[in-house]
Amino acid sequence: MSCAIVGIGRTDYSRRSGRTTKSMAAQACRAALADAGLTPSDVDGMSTYQANDSAHPLEVSRALGIEELAWANSAYGGGNLVADQIATAAAMIEAGLCLAVLVYRSLNGRSGYRFGTVDTQLRIEGDGQFDAPSGFIVPPQWFAMWARRHQHTYGTTAHDLGHIAITQRSHAVPNPHAVMRETLTMDSYLASRWIAEPFRVLDCTYEVDGAVAILLAGEDVATGTRQRPVWLVGSANSQSGAGWTQWPDPTRMYSATAGPRLWDRTGLTPADMDVACMYDCFTYTVMATMEDYGFCGKGEVGAFFGEGRATYGGDVVVNPHGGLLSEGYIHGLNHHFEAALQLRGDAGERQVSNAELALVTAGAGPFGGANIYSREHP
Amino acid sequence: VTRPVPSSLAPIPVPDPDSAGYWDALREGTLKLCRCVDTGTWIHPPQERSPDGGAVTFEEVSGRGTIFSFIVVRQQTVPGHQTPYVVGVVELDEQVGLRLTGIVDAEPDQVRVGARVRARLGAPTPGSDFRAPRFELETPHGSR
Repeated sequence: MSCAIVGIGRTDYSRRSGRTTKSMAAQACRAALADAGLTPSDVDGMSTYQANDSAHPLEVSRALGIEELAWANSAYGGGNLVADQIATAAAMIEAGLCLAVLVYRSLNGRSGYRFGTVDTQLRIEGDGQFDAPSGFIVPPQWFAMWARRHQHTYGTTAHDLGHIAITQRSHAVPNPHAVMRETLTMDSYLASRWIAEPFRVLDCTYEVDGAVAILLAGEDVATGTRQRPVWLVGSANSQSGAGWTQWPDPTRMYSATAGPRLWDRTGLTPADMDVACMYDCFTYTVMATMEDYGFCGKGEVGAFFGEGRATYGGDVVVNPHGGLLSEGYIHGLNHHFEAALQLRGDAGERQVSNAELALVTAGAGPFGGANIYSREHP
Repeated sequence: VTRPVPSSLAPIPVPDPDSAGYWDALREGTLKLCRCVDTGTWIHPPQERSPDGGAVTFEEVSGRGTIFSFIVVRQQTVPGHQTPYVVGVVELDEQVGLRLTGIVDAEPDQVRVGARVRARLGAPTPGSDFRAPRFELETPHGSR
């Protein structure tokens, strides 16, 4: 592929923004444009993904003073769509249908619509209707159910999940943008309150308000922008409708298919990755997807993190920003921001030395995908 | 701030033309699932037609199976049930991979993956005007 991230922008992350998703999206988009040295008139495509909880590209483009767009796309969905959002924007550019595309995610994920908590009476349609009577309708419960199966099959433990939370928190400590920056110990992890066994609160993403924007452009535009372009090497998805109950083997995720597809498509391997921004709505998501993408064998992730192989000086630095668990839940688009920062060499105190290639995964459970980014033109 | 009684805001399933046979059977006191007429394969969630376009029907299942996985909900993140409570994914004896979710009426420390259970049909929460399967552990002698 010959598309690159040429600009990145974001707002602060907070528990209560007091702002509209339109305003936050516009701020993140302006920041991405300023980062690239481009203006709103250079943009002819905008794309987002949301759960009826965010401003549409038509509203955001208007707020930026863009009269019209060649492509204004809003997909209904969650973190499973992030890799696809970037890859589709790149495909639009490479097909000649757009010159420069802003992909954004803006949400009041803490003060507004919270994915993990229901406080109104819901009427559940579609495949979810059968899980309504037991209230099995929120992500923390779905993923705890899957994690239990992994524990049953491979003997993985609370300590294994704890090592993931602790390592990522240690990465967030020097990150001024992260919302959770206190050092985490195994004792404090184990002492944190239960949400749905086997998940404690520290197994769950930290929901925040905020926005991130990623500006993509083709080679002709990218070579003239202000920052070093970060190139998209390849992308792969696997999206299944099997759901949370009928999915055959919850010890594996979408990544058991998307992973091999990505490596096959790019000719790269897990050992080539310097940075891995693993989608981490929950600790267990990191566990299953690290296995599926081939960083280690089944049941070995706890040791992989516990022995320091997922941090500086190890095999690969996993979520150097702290991830969704500790930096905050901008629905996975903040992973792409971090990957760009790392590959530019602009990550400051948390810079991964000689970072050349980054894996960024998106989604969990039955659906998701991943991108690989490169510092050098592929 | 007074928190609402959990059951008063319990989520409500919305039946549709594909699932009406399931909910109607529950209302009449039987657990029926969608089944392909040609192959006998059970299909859940139910569909209007089988994947290859064939006819389907609703047939009664035993309601017996094993705990495939379970969680113990301790934080009230969804209204409906008083915490702590157990939600199980139960694999039915009829077919590998044919699974239902339901409340497991047992103490959390009694539930294990692989435990034998059977369905009991009832109102999910006090005041519900529909029925759904719940599960109870089978005693070693098969009934309690």
